[in-house]
Amino acid sequence: MMKAGPSQEEIRRHNLGALLRFVHVRGPASRAILAENLGLNRSTIMALTSDLTAAGLVREELPRTPGRRAGRPSLVVRPESTRVYVLAFDVGVDRLTVARVGLGGVILDRREAARGRVAASGGASGAADPNEMVNALAAAARSLVRKAGDEATCVGAALAFPGIVRRSDDQVMFGPNLDVGGMAIGEVLSRRLGLGVPVAVCNDANLGAIAEHERGAGVGVNDLIYLHGDVGVGGGIITGGRLLGGEDGYGGEIGHMVVNPGGRRCACGSRGCLEAEVGERTLLDLAGRQESPDVPGREAVRAVVDAAARGDVVARDALHRVGTWLGRGVADLVNIFNPGMVIFGGTLRDVYLGAAAQIRSEVATGALAASRERVKLRTAALGDDTTLVGAAEFAFADVLADPVQVLARLRGAPASAPVP
Amino acid sequence: MSTVTPVLDLRGVHKSFGPVAVLHDVDFVAYPGEVTALVGDNGAGKTTLVKCIAGIVRLDRGQYLFEGRPVRITTPREASALGIEVVHQDLALCDNLDIVQNMFLGRERRRGMVLDEAEMEEVAADILAGLSVRMSGSVRQPVWALSGGQRQTVAIARAVLGDSKVVILDEPSSALGVTQTRQVLELVRRLADRGMAVVLISHNMNDVFAVSDRIAALYLGRMVAQVRTADVTHAQVVELITAGRSETLEARRDGRPGGRRSAGPLRAGAVPEAAEPPA
Repeated sequence: MMKAGPSQEEIRRHNLGALLRFVHVRGPASRAILAENLGLNRSTIMALTSDLTAAGLVREELPRTPGRRAGRPSLVVRPESTRVYVLAFDVGVDRLTVARVGLGGVILDRREAARGRVAASGGASGAADPNEMVNALAAAARSLVRKAGDEATCVGAALAFPGIVRRSDDQVMFGPNLDVGGMAIGEVLSRRLGLGVPVAVCNDANLGAIAEHERGAGVGVNDLIYLHGDVGVGGGIITGGRLLGGEDGYGGEIGHMVVNPGGRRCACGSRGCLEAEVGERTLLDLAGRQESPDVPGREAVRAVVDAAARGDVVARDALHRVGTWLGRGVADLVNIFNPGMVIFGGTLRDVYLGAAAQIRSEVATGALAASRERVKLRTAALGDDTTLVGAAEFAFADVLADPVQVLARLRGAPASAPVP
Repeated sequence: MSTVTPVLDLRGVHKSFGPVAVLHDVDFVAYPGEVTALVGDNGAGKTTLVKCIAGIVRLDRGQYLFEGRPVRITTPREASALGIEVVHQDLALCDNLDIVQNMFLGRERRRGMVLDEAEMEEVAADILAGLSVRMSGSVRQPVWALSGGQRQTVAIARAVLGDSKVVILDEPSSALGVTQTRQVLELVRRLADRGMAVVLISHNMNDVFAVSDRIAALYLGRMVAQVRTADVTHAQVVELITAGRSETLEARRDGRPGGRRSAGPLRAGAVPEAAEPPA
């Protein structure tokens, strides 16, 4: 039997989502611009806008900066940034960040806490317990929710995690730099918040790729690779505008690509992985510096890059070696994926700016001429917030897919009491 | 192969100061949306070439094409009218004036008889925001109160005010700290990504590799190579600067052993078009 075409209702839901996504990603827009970009006629735009306005997702108002053209300025459709928000959690090895991010991608408020690091030897230092981590995240989130007031609605939540996460159930499968011991962080956190929204858990670098693609250096680039440096090295690959997830969602683990067979031992058990050759521990080790629980990794990496720029030969040599391995890895990626852009984020942003000569020399010799010809190497435009912004974008996915329904459900259902 | 017209296209440029020949038969191109790094030892002729481009000194001989049309540029004002701006090493800011006044110096906006301060302030703030620059404090603070990086930013913002098509930066990071250098490099990259042609003079090879799309190497007044950054190594560029030639680069170009074949020829003037892949 032939499948029937989409129903009126499905088309409407799709269009509502498309309009909301447009103003969410691109910012306030007039009806004329919306009509042009969405390929819908103006009366449809008007109907969709009034539905979204009734649901409290957008509002129409005069543009904030008066146009310089003659005549009455046209109204713009603006996302209700302060009334519709998501919670974005970013779990770094050194720091925890929780932010309330409004529709339209505005970071409205945030809480940050440094985390004591588990020493490489395994000796626990305070916050190694995943329960404590979840406690800290939940407390910060609750304080953000309280401050938001009753007028505002939380429409989603997502958590960026430095490890590989199974897509089917958000289970953290492997996080050598941050062990949560099989805890279902998303479920636990969702219960603790009691807002009626699930907390999605995703690989941090995958989220970073989404963020830079939607709002950062990679806007308009449909084939890009994002490399994220924290303690480890993560990756997110976008091909044809979509994140490459693989069979189970583990795709893009660039950090465990072997660039130096028989090289340094990696936390994953293998040798010579990109992470083992260019990760923070290796850089500090080569520079003759100690990993210290008091100095967050980001600061320690920056200190090495700074010292190298000032002429410290040991730091310089360390940075050059790390840059060379990083360049080899990038050359392979360029050959395999033919990306339009490779983006360096987290601590790799500092490494790239400090060792670009080594990195690009390796790409020039290791990548095929045709593949490397047009690849752009860029630093993350969202800076230290890349993975956080990615979590927020992910958290908005539900409401953007079916705006009116999701909102009606969240506002209709009385929120369950948060579990203390 | 489709062609992108270079914004700047200088051919066969000669320049002497009295009996001293400084530039000899120099070709130089710069494309929109790209950072072209101009490298060379002290005395190689980088600054003179930039002065020729900006109308500060006149060419003795040679062709100057701007957006494909032959032009004669004899004063900085003419260069500026075409949309060519230079950020000099000393930045040339007025310490006693505020950010807005510095940005609009010599081209103040007026409303009738008086200066349109509100308009200028708004434009200045817009430009700084558009460059993703966070200035602590107001755009009305005097520039003497700013850090080195912030001063550099103001100088760059002044250069991109109006309809600049070419921005030439002379050693922008030479006087900066490490963090500030990083920010300025990212800013330089953003200018090009927004469609401007950026010419970056730098001695720091790492800065050159961090942001450039092409490298033009001057050696004793001659342009010894203009290559795509993606096709060369650090060592090869150092050879070009210090010896005026690179064996491995030439071997590579000719397809001889010594490296993978490069995508394009070595000489300036025959630089392959960058923007589109062959059909």
